[in-house]
Amino acid sequence: MRPPAGPNQWTLLLDRTWEFFASTKVAAWIIVAIAAAAALGSLIEQEGTYPDWRPPELYYPARYGEFWGSLFLRLGLTHTFTSVWFVALVLMLVVSLVICSLHRLVPLHRMLTRPQVWKLPHFLRKQQVVLETPHALAEVEARLRKAGYRIYRDRECLYAEKGRLGRYGPYVLHIGLLVICFAAFANALPGWNKAEDVWIPDGQTVKVPGTNFAITNHKFTIEFYENGTPSRYATDASIIADGQEVLRQTIEVNHPLAYDGWEIYQVSWREEPGVAHLRLVHEETGQVVATVPLDLRDPQPEYPIEGTNLKLAVRTYLHDFTVDPVTQEPANASYEVRNPVLIAEVVTADTGHVLGRMGLSIAGNIGVVNFGPYYLDVERVDIRRYTALRIQQDRTVPYMYAGLAIVFIGMIMSFFIYHWQVWVRAEEGGVLIGARAHKNRFALKRELRRLFGTSRGEGMERYDTA
Amino acid sequence: MTLPNEFLIEVAQWLLFGAFAAYLLAFVLYGAGTIGRQLSRGTKFQHTAGWGTVANVVGVTLHGLAILARWQGSGFWPTSNMYEFIGFMAFSSMVAYLVLHRIYRMYVVGALATPVTLFLLAYSYVFPREVTPLIPALNTIWLPLHVSLAALGEGFFAVAFVAALLYLLRLRGIELAQARAAEQAAATAETTAAGGGAAPGMIAAGGAVGVAAVPLSAQQAKHKWEEVLGVRLLEGVFYLILVMVAFFLLAAVFRLLGAEWQFVGATYHLPPIIGPVGAEVGEKGTFWGIPLPLVVVSGMWKGKHLNTLLYALVGGSLLYAAVRLFITRGRIGDALALRVSGDLELLDEISYRAVAIGYPIFTLGGLIFAMIWAKQAWTRYWGWDPKETWAFIAWCVYSAYLHFRITWGWEGRWSAWLAVLGFGVVLFTLVGVNLLIVGLHSYAGV
Repeated sequence: MRPPAGPNQWTLLLDRTWEFFASTKVAAWIIVAIAAAAALGSLIEQEGTYPDWRPPELYYPARYGEFWGSLFLRLGLTHTFTSVWFVALVLMLVVSLVICSLHRLVPLHRMLTRPQVWKLPHFLRKQQVVLETPHALAEVEARLRKAGYRIYRDRECLYAEKGRLGRYGPYVLHIGLLVICFAAFANALPGWNKAEDVWIPDGQTVKVPGTNFAITNHKFTIEFYENGTPSRYATDASIIADGQEVLRQTIEVNHPLAYDGWEIYQVSWREEPGVAHLRLVHEETGQVVATVPLDLRDPQPEYPIEGTNLKLAVRTYLHDFTVDPVTQEPANASYEVRNPVLIAEVVTADTGHVLGRMGLSIAGNIGVVNFGPYYLDVERVDIRRYTALRIQQDRTVPYMYAGLAIVFIGMIMSFFIYHWQVWVRAEEGGVLIGARAHKNRFALKRELRRLFGTSRGEGMERYDTA
Repeated sequence: MTLPNEFLIEVAQWLLFGAFAAYLLAFVLYGAGTIGRQLSRGTKFQHTAGWGTVANVVGVTLHGLAILARWQGSGFWPTSNMYEFIGFMAFSSMVAYLVLHRIYRMYVVGALATPVTLFLLAYSYVFPREVTPLIPALNTIWLPLHVSLAALGEGFFAVAFVAALLYLLRLRGIELAQARAAEQAAATAETTAAGGGAAPGMIAAGGAVGVAAVPLSAQQAKHKWEEVLGVRLLEGVFYLILVMVAFFLLAAVFRLLGAEWQFVGATYHLPPIIGPVGAEVGEKGTFWGIPLPLVVVSGMWKGKHLNTLLYALVGGSLLYAAVRLFITRGRIGDALALRVSGDLELLDEISYRAVAIGYPIFTLGGLIFAMIWAKQAWTRYWGWDPKETWAFIAWCVYSAYLHFRITWGWEGRWSAWLAVLGFGVVLFTLVGVNLLIVGLHSYAGV
């Protein structure tokens, strides 16, 4: 398999590279290097996992000290598993896997398919198990055949083997690893692994960006054990395509929904004050003029008051009230519905004449002043739950599963099929047997003892040496 | 979820207690059957070791029944918190030992594998024993598949570690015996020379030994690394084992006492010498005249873990010093090395075979099933979470082991060291990651 070494320097270089990567020892050292790099990566906090809002350039020097922090940043140890050198190590392993396997598989296959049957006695005597028995060659052949060996004959010699398939195991395993590496690298290619997170409140439908369908969250459910540990997160969801419901299914942790090549996972949830039911009260009579459901995420500009000529107009609404420290103007402190505050007016529906002006803090933590005969208060606030779904299209899935399956098959072949080779040579008054086990030589020894005993008639060997 | 069946869980506790007693008995029997037999020069305890295996089989049966009882009692497979998992590890290491014992029948391995099981089982008692209901991510068939198979593979790695350690001890024992023989021979040769007109037979004997001693010293020079560093490394392994024993003893004692120190964001079960961030020196009173905590760490460190580490190291050092001074009177490794017997080649084979059985099981349970599960629960196969990373590192070490073994000159001593290192990584994956690094897998809350 080695490319011919010519006078050309490039050929020479190629030759050297081939030899380097063909070495099992080099392969093992690459594995050790990857393990060491992974250990570093797990001991140093990685970008995106540390519990801090600061960007890496500020966080790491503060976390590990100026010197070490900057060093980690410069070496890429803050994102070890995507760093250039880690990827380079994995690529080296891939090259090693290919070259090492080819370098060995071709001669091995030749050796296994065209075994040398006729061997000199001293070759037989060098093997792991050597026996001299008074049996005839034909008798030996019959017994080996009965024990499941494949027999080859050449003049006074005999070669028997079983479990040849086991020798191919490591190469099958390596092919599986290559497929897995391919899937892992493909995962980083654009378009191979598309994912979209959506937050859907109960009862609403959200169009998923980048797809041609929408998802309805009919209801998100959490169940708890007696001790308060959550026992179940579930979203009763529908897929809506072309305005039609095409699928309705419950999505749970560990039970994603599959639709048209997309997987939809339950990933998170949250809740916030949803709808505040407000009462408009006439201050002097104490009469409740109207009850208004105010959506705290998205209030309507006006709410007509039934049975009257009036309506409630929302003039200012802030879902998380604060006073901006710079402009001294009211503003929202965050995206959350945390401290909703509104200013509304009671106006006549037709002329727009203002009858009263009210302020309200839903949380009740800010004093407000009302003008006119009305005031607002909160009857109740309904909680709104959101489910978070991840919609993912991962084209690496079949490759990954195939790779994992091949690795497993290769492993079973390597470790549970033992290749045993037996050479037998007819000699005066009996035969000389030399046998080699590629794996599990003690069992081979035992099997040969069982088949032939020893020339001196010893029984089975016991390994009770303690 | 069905309510836990208190009766069955109680039964499981008693079965586990029975298993513990059986393992303890097996340990004693193996000890008598190997070291005792050797000390009596084979005159006593000739069949004792065999009864040790019987005790272990009884123990593993009771242990298996305990697992089944807890499974039925709690309604889910008992590998969901540290108590259950470490107990399962103990079980799988014993299963692995018995499998290898059936193949190789080497009692000295049992004499060291049984205490590993005992230690793991005892260690599991440090953790709270209550049934913790499964959070949604764990509530799937993959929990028993992934965890049990990974633990079974790790059980085989434990046996590989034991056999490798015995191999290294045996090697050291042979070296020591050779060195002693050479010393004696030199002494004999000296007396013979001093005696002048000694009997011709004596000179011949002295000469013969002298000839044998020459290649030995050449060999010694060749193996300088092993002579100096290897012996210290071996001693380091025993030191680390004693550190773990000390950690376990301290944790068990303070758990029994029910001691607890509450801080903001951390609960200590050992007296807080090193306090967490934000604590004040001396705020928890004193313990034997030492203000608690004595020092408070900065935000960079996890005070609780440093505190535990401090106890383990100090306790382990004291224990080591005590054993070395009063029991072995010299290096622990050397003292053990002279007591260990057995065929080197067979020990090497057992260690290799244990890895060869454990590796595919671990790969299937710890990596393949883990990836499939992670995809369905966390939407990705692999995320370099600390537990995942360390399982991967352990897998890499054993992969390297398998590759180094087929290259020339790496079987024997070097393989044995890799098997020891591999199990160290496994232990770190199981305990160290939960203790020192926090990640997705830290459901159990150590």
